[in-house]
Amino acid sequence: MGNEKAFTIEKNDFGRLLEHLLKKYRVFGPTQRGLDATFNEIKTNDQLFLDYVSTVLPPKKFFHPPRLELFSFDLHQKHVKIEEIKQDEKTLLLGIHPCDVHALLRLDDFFLGEFQDPYYQNRRKNTVLVALNCIEPSDYAFCNSMGTGPFLEEGYDLLLTDIGTKYLIEIGSDTGQNILKGIQLENATTADFTEKNHRFKLLEKRFKRFINTSWLSKIAQENIDHEVWERLGEQGGVSGSLPCLSCGQCSLVCPTCYCYDVYDTLDLSLKKGKRIRELDSCQLLEYGEVAQGGNFRPNRKDRIRHWMLCKLGVAAGGQQSSCVGCGRCIRTCPVGIDITEVAKVLRGE
Amino acid sequence: MKKKPTIGIFKFTGCAGCQLELLHLEDVFINLLDIVDITYWVMVKRENTEGPWDISLVEGGISTPEEIEEIKEIRKKSKILVAFGDCAVNGCIPSIRNWIPQMEAEQCVYSDTSSIHSTKILGIGEYVKVDMVLKGCPPHRENIIEVIKSSLLNIRPRLRQHPVCMECKLKDNACLIISKNLPCMGPVTSAGCGAICPSLNRICEGCYGPMSNPNTSALADVFRKMGYSEEDIKRKFRKYAGMTPEFRKEAGD
Repeated sequence: MGNEKAFTIEKNDFGRLLEHLLKKYRVFGPTQRGLDATFNEIKTNDQLFLDYVSTVLPPKKFFHPPRLELFSFDLHQKHVKIEEIKQDEKTLLLGIHPCDVHALLRLDDFFLGEFQDPYYQNRRKNTVLVALNCIEPSDYAFCNSMGTGPFLEEGYDLLLTDIGTKYLIEIGSDTGQNILKGIQLENATTADFTEKNHRFKLLEKRFKRFINTSWLSKIAQENIDHEVWERLGEQGGVSGSLPCLSCGQCSLVCPTCYCYDVYDTLDLSLKKGKRIRELDSCQLLEYGEVAQGGNFRPNRKDRIRHWMLCKLGVAAGGQQSSCVGCGRCIRTCPVGIDITEVAKVLRGE
Repeated sequence: MKKKPTIGIFKFTGCAGCQLELLHLEDVFINLLDIVDITYWVMVKRENTEGPWDISLVEGGISTPEEIEEIKEIRKKSKILVAFGDCAVNGCIPSIRNWIPQMEAEQCVYSDTSSIHSTKILGIGEYVKVDMVLKGCPPHRENIIEVIKSSLLNIRPRLRQHPVCMECKLKDNACLIISKNLPCMGPVTSAGCGAICPSLNRICEGCYGPMSNPNTSALADVFRKMGYSEEDIKRKFRKYAGMTPEFRKEAGD
């Protein structure tokens, strides 16, 4: 970490940086909504809520939108006419936390790996990431155990760290460097970095949830007949939880769950329509449905097991869809299912 | 000119709200009339013809012996019969009276019950074969159009039976159960409404009836943990879909 590449800005002067960013980009960042925070468009500094703990939906909603129109089609002529619906706008995500940046890196593996998804690629290419190291771990987070937080080492264009009365600004890419051209900022000092390290050490001690990840995928894989799945799916629950409702919230709020459904919708001419991609959830009965009424996962037990295994790096996407420890699924679960507790039971702890 | 497919719209025991929802299509209603011919709709039209119909939308539950005969007649004259809204699907709010003795219910309304012959209120599927089910109190306009379009194209309509939580989360709402400790029916209720109530910080009342494979007993336990009595819980499950096998378990006998 070279000091020459880092700057600081006073917190009460942050509006100046935001104005600078707004000149070139549509900016999205955390805003306060009731007791929770959500990512929304930011037009003025007072809308910004950088002291947030976590958001309801992760920033995946900007790259892999819950409902996306892929293209429109017209069957009036002999040849089907198809028009792509493209999103080329330059955007900037401000205040994205380390776990969510790590989640994006995993989504990159999936959407930009062997098969390139143009819709995801386009959004990713046109979006600048200004990350923000966590100030306080959420009561539900365990990123520290997963190696994805609370401070970030990679994947950002710019990185902000709260160091008291000011933010430390570190540069992570050429884009990040270019963004800061034309704005007057203080150079960071060694003392600023000392303060950052000091805060990191304090933060690490404040986590309330942990997962022992050593051999965890292997252990999960070998325990697909464990009685914990029956308890989760049907009765008993795990460590004070009730059995799963199959409501699907855990997978929708998960920053690495990417499963989607694709369908066509026609307008009333019955000739023109759109192809839609919508987030799906493996917790739903219909997800495993195939022709002739067959279903790969007809029981709740099978579905919750599938999701847990996926998050523990076993099923489906393996590491691409595995857990980053943000804790959103624990926070939102109406019956109190906690993946860290399930992991303990699987380990026999 | 090619003859347009015909639609008949009928009402039994219900509030006519589903038919109103159809009228509320407003901006696309004219386009709808370009592709179909509504030949029977007493609430809206002066001149109505007696079928047959390509698509029949039936609103309301069945509550008298006369209605049983009428729905059988409509079935005979319809190619595709749609249970239009919760009352036609499972009895909905009027079915609350099924939990008290028939005579008692009749006496609540009529001073002289000698000419009243009512039955338990049930969905039309109890008496005739139903081809499509449009859940909701009332069904969402998008779903009404989806059913008409897919009937015309002879394909399966896309009516997801997943929980309201799906639509609620996609709107970036915080869960009302965990953030406000409110007894929301969302986790067991079929989506299709677009999570209107939770988006306005009101709990889901369960008006679309059960989702596919709901875990009603776990949600009832959530309500118990919140401090709700057995009677409260029964009332919640009876309100819109107490007659369905899924909710019946928690709605009691």
